[in-house]
Amino acid sequence: MAENNSEDSSSPPKKRKPRLIAFVGDFLISHSYAVSVFCCFAGSVALLLLPILAKNTYLSENALMPGSAKPTFSSQEAVTAKELIKELIDWKIIRDENRMQTYEIIANHMAETGADVYYHSFYSRKKQFHPMSFFMGAPMEDNNNHSSTHAVNSVGIIRAPHGDGKEAIVLVSPYNSDKMELSDALSVGLAYSIFCLLGRAAWLAKDIVWLAADSKFGEYASVAEWLKQYHDPVFIGKKLNFHPVDGDIQFVRGISEDFKRAGTMAAAIVFKVLETSQGTGTDNVNIYAESSNGQMPNLDLINIVHYLAVHRHGLHVEVGKLSSLLNSLWLKMVGKFLEGVSNIVGSLNPKWRFALPVLDYVEGTAVLASSVYHQALGVPTGPHGAFRDYQIDAITLEISPRVSLNSEMARSSFLVRVGRLIEGIVRSVNNLLEKFHQSFFLYFLTSPSKFVSVGVYMIPFGLLVMPLPILAAALYSGKASEALVQKSDPFNTQKSYKASQENPFPSVGSWKWIHAAKLVFAVHLWATIISVLPSLIYQASCTNTTTNFLIWIALSIPSFFFFYWISLSSYFHSNDAGWAILKALTIGAASIGLGLMSIINFATAQIGAIFLVPMCLMVHPLRQIYRGAGLGELLHMVSNVVLGLIGFPPASFILLKGWSQGFEEVNMGDLWVWVENLWSWNSATYLYLLLVHLPCWVLCLIVLLHP
Amino acid sequence: MVMFNYRHMANTLSLYRTVKRLGIPDERIILMLADDMACNTRNSYPAQVFNNENHQLNLYGDNVEVDYRGYEVTVENFLRVLTGRHETAVPRSKRLLSDEGSHILLYMTGHGGDEFLKFQDSEEIQSQDLADAIEQMREKGRFKELLIMVDTCQAATLFSRLYSPGVLAIGSSLKGENSYSHHLDSDVGVSVVDRFTFYTLAFFERLNMYDNASLSSLFNSYNPNLLMSTAYYRMDLYKRPLDQVPVTNFFGSVMEMTHVDSAYHAFSGKTKYETPHIQMPSSDQSTDQAEQQELRTSDASIETKYSVKEVKPGNNHLMGQWKALLDMVEDTDAFVNYGLLAMALVAVISSWVLS
Repeated sequence: MAENNSEDSSSPPKKRKPRLIAFVGDFLISHSYAVSVFCCFAGSVALLLLPILAKNTYLSENALMPGSAKPTFSSQEAVTAKELIKELIDWKIIRDENRMQTYEIIANHMAETGADVYYHSFYSRKKQFHPMSFFMGAPMEDNNNHSSTHAVNSVGIIRAPHGDGKEAIVLVSPYNSDKMELSDALSVGLAYSIFCLLGRAAWLAKDIVWLAADSKFGEYASVAEWLKQYHDPVFIGKKLNFHPVDGDIQFVRGISEDFKRAGTMAAAIVFKVLETSQGTGTDNVNIYAESSNGQMPNLDLINIVHYLAVHRHGLHVEVGKLSSLLNSLWLKMVGKFLEGVSNIVGSLNPKWRFALPVLDYVEGTAVLASSVYHQALGVPTGPHGAFRDYQIDAITLEISPRVSLNSEMARSSFLVRVGRLIEGIVRSVNNLLEKFHQSFFLYFLTSPSKFVSVGVYMIPFGLLVMPLPILAAALYSGKASEALVQKSDPFNTQKSYKASQENPFPSVGSWKWIHAAKLVFAVHLWATIISVLPSLIYQASCTNTTTNFLIWIALSIPSFFFFYWISLSSYFHSNDAGWAILKALTIGAASIGLGLMSIINFATAQIGAIFLVPMCLMVHPLRQIYRGAGLGELLHMVSNVVLGLIGFPPASFILLKGWSQGFEEVNMGDLWVWVENLWSWNSATYLYLLLVHLPCWVLCLIVLLHP
Repeated sequence: MVMFNYRHMANTLSLYRTVKRLGIPDERIILMLADDMACNTRNSYPAQVFNNENHQLNLYGDNVEVDYRGYEVTVENFLRVLTGRHETAVPRSKRLLSDEGSHILLYMTGHGGDEFLKFQDSEEIQSQDLADAIEQMREKGRFKELLIMVDTCQAATLFSRLYSPGVLAIGSSLKGENSYSHHLDSDVGVSVVDRFTFYTLAFFERLNMYDNASLSSLFNSYNPNLLMSTAYYRMDLYKRPLDQVPVTNFFGSVMEMTHVDSAYHAFSGKTKYETPHIQMPSSDQSTDQAEQQELRTSDASIETKYSVKEVKPGNNHLMGQWKALLDMVEDTDAFVNYGLLAMALVAVISSWVLS
């Protein structure tokens, strides 16, 4: 080192070539405008290409071997199912005070198969805001806050005859004990017949737990309560004892009140039978997989269901789709355009042909949009969500028959088909040695048999977010001035007002950014405060949602001006071009927020980036744009205003809702319901909206209105 | 305990049963089974293993001696069995007791790939390791002839590195080819046998231990269309013509006895040992069958060499002369016939003289 130093000092200083990474960084920053435009464009294109880039699903785990064993579910099992169904439907008709409760009927049947049976009773819980339990899934709290009514789950456990009892597969059949419909009875009957069958199976390696979940207080609640007790046993305090309430429960032999457990849950399948037929010509299986904060079960679980249902039992499988997109004209145009491009490319080399037929593309996009939306919402789409909170792979199957199930014949053939499907799924999962781990956990579906994996869907997000730090650095270092001027004034030959002025941007190292930073900080502080306001409003327990929403708004706006006033005084003391620093910091905050959110819930960050990135990149003080007088200025101004408008979460919510359901049905209360839904489910999306999106929008607004 | 490896265990047990039927005793077979499918909880026929969906034959019935099972089936143990480098505590039943006259069959099946075969799910044997172990066996005089039979994907690559003379190898598939299972048992819910092994067994089902089928007839019996892969055999290291080698040399225990006059010398003394290669090729075998999951080793056809002492003339003159005289007689049958004739003549003359 010393030698080098002496050499350096003695020899005349040579012009040293900058390191490559520094050079590239410098290059990107000085061309931030071009980079931003390119990245945003490429990101949007990549987003539209996602349905095309989707791959066919495949079973990753060799051990699963779905469909290799012959299903043994026969019409004999269907007969046992029908007996229980009949009993449950008759129960509805009998108006006798001394009749057995539904859970007793179910438990008695369970006990007949020789299983371990017990009752699990629980109380309904009120919705609550849990500021500390975001990202932790289901809302759960102490027992103080329950109502007086209770519901009872019946649970049966088949111990695997040769197994070690360390693992279990859970079957859940939700039913509403208050109003027993045919569909509820069918779900329970189907589960019972499968349970009977599995009770005789010699090949079980995992225990089978059947939870007949009383969904009086919601399907999710019953499953979540049971899971909570399964995993967090309560040793102290009072036991939830429902004897005194009912008094006269007769315990059949083999049924107990003690909570019993099987092993670790390998997978859970929730199945519901719908009465109404879809009219598709085949029985329809609808798969719901999204659980809290966009977590998905392992793709292999969906693959098993799809493989067995489609290739073995001839059922039709669907996953949710945004049907409003199916008729969207612009999507068809995009699809046609892509097909045209692919045809041109394909004429050069047939191997390069990439596009899907237009209809497939539109269908894929609709499913993809639904998949992204439900993941982004962070609210589970069914009772399976409760399992995911304990890292158990679970899905909900909603099975609708092709014909009405009022006739006995139709019922029994339907039961055989679906029973075989579920038996196959159980047998396949039973073959597993470890947890599901081979296949993907991070994916979007574009059809039941096609998926976009994490490696692909990260690309558009990366492209969208990449310009943010680059532009922030450019703005901060003042290198963006040229580009900004060009952008604001592309047709004007006389390089505009800014260039003539002295360079208003502070050099690196000055402390002028501290004023803007104070403002950014204040806005975020304000956002934090208003994010906890709903819980306070909820405590006040106004029942009218519109009123609640208006109170929220009314509290937010004055508090905002309070913070604004505190920090603004110093902000205005900074020079005229302070907006550039403010924009740089806003963009920085946005990129950090999006980056963090992409780790917590990628889909939220993806959707958020679509709204936030163009707004942050384009924002420019309106007054400065106004000084120019060309078409470019006009465009710039309009786009700023439009982006600023749709960047406001309530506005975009209302627009999206109005677009999908018609504007006449939209009211302010819906937004409150939506937000309440988010926080009551502890969705991290709520945090994103209020801690990242809203402050960035406010800051962009401040930049827009910069004097 | 992966259920989908059922067929490997069934393969191995089937071949074990076949070589036992053809006369190789259990003590000459080293059977390595990585999984205990019979007791797998997922097995719908507890304690039974079948290689056919008709469930006629329980391969896991009585008299199955598994020498290495479960966690004992490792690459290390496999190489130890081959090379005979055991710890002192290892019993004789778990060792390959072969010598330079032995015929050994080494059957391996499991999940393989380009130049490797998986053992359990944690390790694998590479083709070079196998080749080196076999060269070590040759140097230590542990076999005369060795037949390696491999039923895995890309099986031919596993023996591509072999360089020891006297080794014959056959595999179920070429490089880049998969070996497929033969059929699925829909009650057990798994494939129960691999194609290559299935057709090998089918070949042997037509044989009994006295049949004279040659190795070439076995090797030519594989039909690529039925196997869905190309069975490949490598015989550049093997000297004997295949159509003259009976399969029972490796798969059976047919002993071809050659009479020698005296195994032991009457007088010890100044004797000079020579080895005129009077052999008793006792084709007692063991089958060595190794495998990722199931591996079984057996030593095939130990050819025992008996050395016959030759006595120098002069030391024991009378004997020597007699021996020399005997040696002059080339046609023993004729000699015996003449002897009988002579005895008859002597009897007639003596009776005539006495009367």
